Amino acid sequence: MPQASGNIALKLKASHLSLASQRFHGEGYQDGYAEGNRIGVTEGRIYGSLHGARIGSEVGCYLGFALTWQHLLHNCTGEKHSKKLKALESLVGMIQKFPYEDPTYDKLQEDLEKIRGKFKQVCSMLNTHPDFRIGLERSVLTF
Amino acid sequence: MRAGSASGSGMATLTLSCRLAAHPDSRCWFVAWSPGGALLASCGGDRSVRVWGRQGESWVCRAVLDEGHQRTVRKVAWSLCGNYLASASFDATTCIWKKTPDGFECVTTLEGHENEVKSVAWSPSGSLLATCSRDKSVWIWEVDEEDEYECVSVLNSHTQDVKHVVWHPTQELLASASYDDTVKLYREEEDDWVCCTTLEGHESTVWGLAFDGAGRRLASCSDDRTVRIWSSDEQGEPGVACSSTEPSWKCICTLSGYHTRTIYDVAWCHLTGALATACGDDAIRIFEEEPLAEPQQPTFALMAHVPRAHAQDVNCVAWNPAEPGLLASCSDDGEVAFWKYQRPECC
Repeated sequence: MPQASGNIALKLKASHLSLASQRFHGEGYQDGYAEGNRIGVTEGRIYGSLHGARIGSEVGCYLGFALTWQHLLHNCTGEKHSKKLKALESLVGMIQKFPYEDPTYDKLQEDLEKIRGKFKQVCSMLNTHPDFRIGLERSVLTF
Repeated sequence: MRAGSASGSGMATLTLSCRLAAHPDSRCWFVAWSPGGALLASCGGDRSVRVWGRQGESWVCRAVLDEGHQRTVRKVAWSLCGNYLASASFDATTCIWKKTPDGFECVTTLEGHENEVKSVAWSPSGSLLATCSRDKSVWIWEVDEEDEYECVSVLNSHTQDVKHVVWHPTQELLASASYDDTVKLYREEEDDWVCCTTLEGHESTVWGLAFDGAGRRLASCSDDRTVRIWSSDEQGEPGVACSSTEPSWKCICTLSGYHTRTIYDVAWCHLTGALATACGDDAIRIFEEEPLAEPQQPTFALMAHVPRAHAQDVNCVAWNPAEPGLLASCSDDGEVAFWKYQRPECC
């Protein structure tokens, strides 16, 4: 008999242990999840602000370039100049339509590529070769 | 060298008529026939473009254009009038050559691509030129009467290296093939060029494209060892663009199991309808549509196969636009070869 009651005690202990282990497992998971979530949000925020700043800096650079050239060509006439002005206007329009406020905008990359293409076309028409890549790297570093 | 069809019955033949060491000790990347079919331009790793003309049974070099590029010339294209040649080079530029009484003169160098220019093509009207590059972009240039070129669009639709560009035979519709495994089609919409269709299906790099004579079908060839035939559902006469609805393109046929390596080029003869392929297994193959199939479910039969057409990879095949059955090919072995394709009924 004593042997049997010992067995029951052991069994009880084991079930307690298993319960406790399950509890700690659960709590550990919850704590870990919360911690991971917190780190994830922070990392995401850093990543987002870094890349957001990079895009902002790039697109801002294009806008400044376009507005400056619009100003320079403002009084020029003739078909050649009107074509250039039209392309500049189109570039400015695309940038103004670009939704900076909405990071979930699903065509963000597509629209950015279109702006980059238009910028390259404008540079080709104006016969200028702006070394915007250096400017970009610098702006990323200063950020 | 002669080769018959794989099936044995209804034998068609592809016979070698001439072979030239066009770009010795180098690769020959591409060949292009002048619109009238009298001249063939070739280009290669030796940074030169060569122009060949017929002399009796043979072909002789009429001009060497070797002062335009600093690196490999990857592709060459004739304007529709035959008076201009465009050459696309790994030096990131495209040269425009004008035919003069003494030969060819470089009149313009187009800059703008960030790195290797992979292909160049003139639109059917002759007023537009398309170029594409490893920088993933396709550029469209407009030519004015004074031979001045102005960029009208930079299209960043592909996500990888763009390998080839080709215009529709009658419309201002451009197709491009890329390392991103897709083919994209572009047309002008409200004063700007846009990508209107993406053709997905190839499982690896798309290397070459060719429209059929009517422009209703497009053939694409790939590193996945298949040729795909795409068809437009556009109604009415070809060339009359219907602006209200975008014609959709779908794959109606896949030629698989014939090629053992990458297919680098495909050429659709606008005179006979025969389809030729240039393959990395050194072979040239000719296919023809089987006559009794449904137009929307065509089947193509292998009509001729020359296993060792060249000593190395075949890079390009081109049908002469005026003489039915005359095919030119070129290879990594630096050679250009001329072939005569004959169907059984022509024998």
